[in-house]
Amino acid sequence: MSSPPAMLQGKGCAPGDFEGEAVVSNQPFGFWQGIDPQTGTVIDKRHDLCGTSLKGKVFFFPYGRGSTGTPGIFLEAVRNGCAPAAIVNVKSEPMIVMCALLAEAFFKVQIPIVDGLAGNPRDILRTGDRVRVNGTTGAIEVISRDQSTP
Amino acid sequence: MHLTDEERRILDGAFGEPQRIALSVLVKLGDAYGADRMVEIASAHIVGSSYQIAGEAGIEIYGQLVEQGARVKVRTTSDPGSIDFARWREFKTPADYADRQIKIAELLGRMGVIPTWTCTPYTTFNVPRFGEHLGWSESSAVVFANSVIGARTNRLAAYVDVCAALVGRVPRFGLHLSECRRGEVLFELAPDLSESFEDHFFPVLGFFVGQRTGDRIPVITGVRQATFDQLKAFGAAAAASGSVALYHMVGITPEARTLEEAFGARPPAERIEVGRREIDLTMEQMSRGERGAVDVVGVGCPHASIDQMRRYATLLRGKRVHSGIELWICANSVVEDMARKMGYVETIEQAGAKLMVGTCHNDCPLGAWGFRRLVTDSGKFAYYTPTTVGTECIFASTEACIEAALTGRVERL
Repeated sequence: MSSPPAMLQGKGCAPGDFEGEAVVSNQPFGFWQGIDPQTGTVIDKRHDLCGTSLKGKVFFFPYGRGSTGTPGIFLEAVRNGCAPAAIVNVKSEPMIVMCALLAEAFFKVQIPIVDGLAGNPRDILRTGDRVRVNGTTGAIEVISRDQSTP
Repeated sequence: MHLTDEERRILDGAFGEPQRIALSVLVKLGDAYGADRMVEIASAHIVGSSYQIAGEAGIEIYGQLVEQGARVKVRTTSDPGSIDFARWREFKTPADYADRQIKIAELLGRMGVIPTWTCTPYTTFNVPRFGEHLGWSESSAVVFANSVIGARTNRLAAYVDVCAALVGRVPRFGLHLSECRRGEVLFELAPDLSESFEDHFFPVLGFFVGQRTGDRIPVITGVRQATFDQLKAFGAAAAASGSVALYHMVGITPEARTLEEAFGARPPAERIEVGRREIDLTMEQMSRGERGAVDVVGVGCPHASIDQMRRYATLLRGKRVHSGIELWICANSVVEDMARKMGYVETIEQAGAKLMVGTCHNDCPLGAWGFRRLVTDSGKFAYYTPTTVGTECIFASTEACIEAALTGRVERL
């Protein structure tokens, strides 16, 4: 018996509409030195997602730790088709929003970003849940809960 | 957001595709952060000048912009590159890697970017004035321009800085607004620390403040005097360990002549006392590795000033760097040229140290060297090099760093 679908409301920060699988962490994340842009895999050894692929996923994390070089790595991942497909934060720092705006401007790829998630990401969602994110309206719809883990 | 007629025409493509794309990115950024309008900037400084940051995506973006006829509209300088353009072979940079950096240099040159290759553009041809609006990235330069000079810039990201340069504008939000520049967290130096505040405490205090303040605006009291280089070192460390883009040092920085001016009408959200204990603990945290043998010494982060070059030359005069040890001093070509004229470069090179110009340990691929333990006097290096260079890193004073280069061992901090 699956949990009923839930609607969450955040604030849209970068446009786009995407439905897919969630990857969820309660730890802040920095893309610079954080992912391998050739594969989309997390390489930050201090991070709980180390080894996990973000490619094509809806990436939930509380907030970014951003070097001003962040879009360098992020856009390299976009160019290789290995970036996350959508991002949801408790608080989106401008560095992350700038990454999405640049991806759209220079690579014609929309990566919706929503911030204002109320609470720790993992209290709300689990990796493997299926969600739909709208970066204009800020709506986050939980389509189905992952049943494979207790 | 309110847009002028000219801005509307830019968005309609009347001034070409590069300006249209650039402004559309900046307007969306402004909309996301509640900007009421755009503001004209006096200059830009861009961080995606390094191949390590820009990669192939950067070459594709710059290539596209150049093909479409992009030219910067305001004075624009470049952050360090990923090679020493004159001596990359000496630093064992792979030739194909150097080629990609040279390609970026060519593309930026065609857009009219001044090739300063430095994180301290304010020691070259990009010197902001108090109150001026800027479109800068490079966290250590942003914090210097905002705090020490009193110019106004948010921390722009790579490529967004180029967008700002192409249209000479940024969205007006955050640190462009007076009400968003007031202090939020108070750091009070204990009287005994205040009385005996040593040169190398500046990056340590910066590191501590960055850790404790995050992206808020810190105000520091109890620092009695500070040089240009000490403020530079403090800010770079705070911007690395936290995301500090503006700090106020009461009695020293221009928007903090008094404590009241630093905070405005709003009282501090938090007060933190800093004593000798906090300095000692932070200094320990900044080192990831044991004392003892080292194989590389890195100074000049942010890029060394002419005063620092004189100091290194004085410490190295008539001495010899220990065999098997590399001492690299990072600087920009403007300071290099002057240091050469002053005889400092000759003294430094005679001692067996190397000048690393237009880049630094963090930006340059150093895998071929197999370094294991670096010692540095920079809080920013201490924060980043364990990841970027993959070495253990020990933080020490400038004198202790030079001593380590001469003896091959770091025994004191």
